[in-house]
Amino acid sequence: MIAQVWQYVLGGVVDGAIFALVAAGFVLIYQVTGIINFAQGEFVMVGGMTAASLAAAGMPPLGAAAVAVVVAACVGALAYLLAIRPARGATGVTLIFITLGLDVALRGLALFVWGTNPYSLPPFSAGNAVKLFGGVLPPQAMWVLGTDLLVFAALYLFFQKTYVGTAVRAAVANPPIASTFGIPLRTFAFASFVVAAAIGGIGGVVITPIPGVQYDAGLTYGLAGFVAAVLGGLESLPGALLGGFVLGIVEHVAGGLLSPGWEQGVGFLILVLVLVLRPQGLLGRAARRA
Amino acid sequence: MSFAPQNAYGRVALIVLAVVAAAVWFLPAYYTGLLTLIGIYSLVTIGLNLFMGYAGQVSLGQAAFVGIGAYTSAVLAVYLHVTPWLGAAGGAAVAALVAYVLSFVALRLRENLLALATLALGIVINVVFNEWEFIGGSSGFKDIPGFKLGAFTFDPRAYAILSWALVAVGIWFAGNLVRSSFGRTLIAISAGELGAQALGVDAEKLKRQTFVLSAVYAGIAGAVYASYQSYIDPSSFGFLLSVNFVLMSVIGGLRSLWGAVIGAAIVVALGQILQAVVPVVLPSARGDFQQFFLGAVLIAILILLPRGLAGRVSEGGRA
Repeated sequence: MIAQVWQYVLGGVVDGAIFALVAAGFVLIYQVTGIINFAQGEFVMVGGMTAASLAAAGMPPLGAAAVAVVVAACVGALAYLLAIRPARGATGVTLIFITLGLDVALRGLALFVWGTNPYSLPPFSAGNAVKLFGGVLPPQAMWVLGTDLLVFAALYLFFQKTYVGTAVRAAVANPPIASTFGIPLRTFAFASFVVAAAIGGIGGVVITPIPGVQYDAGLTYGLAGFVAAVLGGLESLPGALLGGFVLGIVEHVAGGLLSPGWEQGVGFLILVLVLVLRPQGLLGRAARRA
Repeated sequence: MSFAPQNAYGRVALIVLAVVAAAVWFLPAYYTGLLTLIGIYSLVTIGLNLFMGYAGQVSLGQAAFVGIGAYTSAVLAVYLHVTPWLGAAGGAAVAALVAYVLSFVALRLRENLLALATLALGIVINVVFNEWEFIGGSSGFKDIPGFKLGAFTFDPRAYAILSWALVAVGIWFAGNLVRSSFGRTLIAISAGELGAQALGVDAEKLKRQTFVLSAVYAGIAGAVYASYQSYIDPSSFGFLLSVNFVLMSVIGGLRSLWGAVIGAAIVVALGQILQAVVPVVLPSARGDFQQFFLGAVLIAILILLPRGLAGRVSEGGRA
C-alpha cells in the first residue's frame, strides 16, 4: 500500500515538473501583462509536436529539440503580435476571450500541420529505470527534473541578478512610474509571451518521450498549468514551482487511490477551493487584491 | 431610435419560427438536423449572453448546465418514466439549483478568476458525469425516450420546430427582461459594479439571478438535446463545448439576443462548410480543423468589431 502510494507520488513528481513549467509561463505573462493566457498549454504541444515530427523525419534529436523551442517561441511572438497587441486597451473579459480564441486556433492549426496522429520521441538517454526507495522513475524523468531546475534557476538569476530583470520587476510593481523612467512596457509584454512560449516549448520537448504527444495535448497541460499557477498565487515563480509539484502529486495519488477519472477532477476541486479560500495562493501574502 | 421597436423580439421570433416550421418540410433531413442543433445551441447562447453580455460576467463552464439538463431529463425518463416535457422542466430546475449553489462560490470572483472558477466547476461536473455509475458513467445513457404529443412521437422535423419554438419563447422572455429595469440594472453592473452598488443596486443578487437564468436556458436545451439524440455521454458536455458557446456568444455579439442565434448559426454552418470545402484544397486535413478558423474569427471580431456581428444593428443595451 505504502509502496503503491510512493509510486504514485513519483509519477506525480514527473507530471508536476511539467505543470510547474506551464505555470511559470502563466505567471510570467500574468505578472507582466495582467493577462491569463489560456493558450499557454498549446506552446507545450507545439514544442512536443515539432520535436517529435522532426525527429521522425530523421533529424538528430538535439537539433530537433532546439528547432522545436525556437518554433514555440515564434508562435508566442506571433500570438502576441497578431492577437494581443492589436487589442490593447481591451478590458479583462475581452482579453480572456482573445486568448481562448488563440487556444482554439492553435489547436486547429496543429491539425492542419500534423493531423490527428500521435507522435512520440525516443528518450534522450538510454538506461534503466531509476530506483528510488522502492519506487521507479523512467530515465527521462531525470531530464524533466533537470530541465525544471535549469529553467527556474535561470529565471531566478534573471529577475534577481540582472539589470533587465530588475527593470521587469519595476515594471510589474508599478507600470506607470516604470514607464516614466523609460522602461519599455510593451517590449516587456512582447518578451513575456516569447519567453513563456519558449518555456512551454522546452517542457513539451522534454516530456514528450514519456506520454507522447498529439494535436490536442496542449489542453491538458494548459488546464493543469492554470491550477498549478493559481495554487502558487498566480504572481509568484516559486509558487508556480511548488504549485506544479503539489498538483502533480495530489492528482496522481487521488487518481491512483480513487479512480483515474478523478485525477483531473481533484485538481479542479482544489483550484476552486484555492480561488475562494486563499486567492493569494499557497505561498502568497494576503490581500493584494481588492 | 433603435432598430427593433419595443417588444419586437417576440414578433420577429414568431416569424423566424414560422420560417423554420415551413422550411423543415422542404429541407433534406441533414439540414433539418443542423437547424435543430442551431436552435438548441441558440437557446444556451441566449442565456449565456444575458450573463456575459448584459451582466458583463464570464462563464467557461456553460456546457455543464446543458449536461445537467440532459442527464436529469434522461434519468427521469428512463428510471421513472417521466415524460420528457416534465423532464425538461426538471432539467431546468436541477440546473438552476446547481447554478444557485455554485454562484455562492463563483460569483464572489471577477473576470480572470471567475473565468477560471467556472472553467474548473464545469470540468468537475463533467468528471462527476464520468464517474457516477448510476447515470451511466463514461459509457453514457442510451435509449432516452423522445418527446410525444398524444400518440405522435417526435420526428426530426418536430424536433427542429420544438427547438425553434423554445428559441422564440427564450428570445421573447429575454427581450422583455433586457428592456425592463432588471436588464438596465444588469448593464449598469457590467459598466461598473462598484458604481452600481453605490446607486443601491444589489449586484450580487442580480448576478446570481442571471447566472441561474442562464442555467435554466442551458438545462432546457440539454433536455431537448438528450431526447433528440436519444443518447448522451459525458464527452458531449466537456470543456470544448463550453468554449464553443463562448465562440457563438462573442462572434454573434455578446450584448445582443439575436446575436446569440446568429453566432450559433455561424459556428455550426461555418463548421459544416469548412468541413466540406477545406479537404478539397488540403486533402490531409482531418478532425475539427474548422476550430482554427473559428478561433481566428473570434480574435478578429474582438479586435475589429468588439460588439460582434450583430453589434451594428444591435437592439437594446446601447450604452
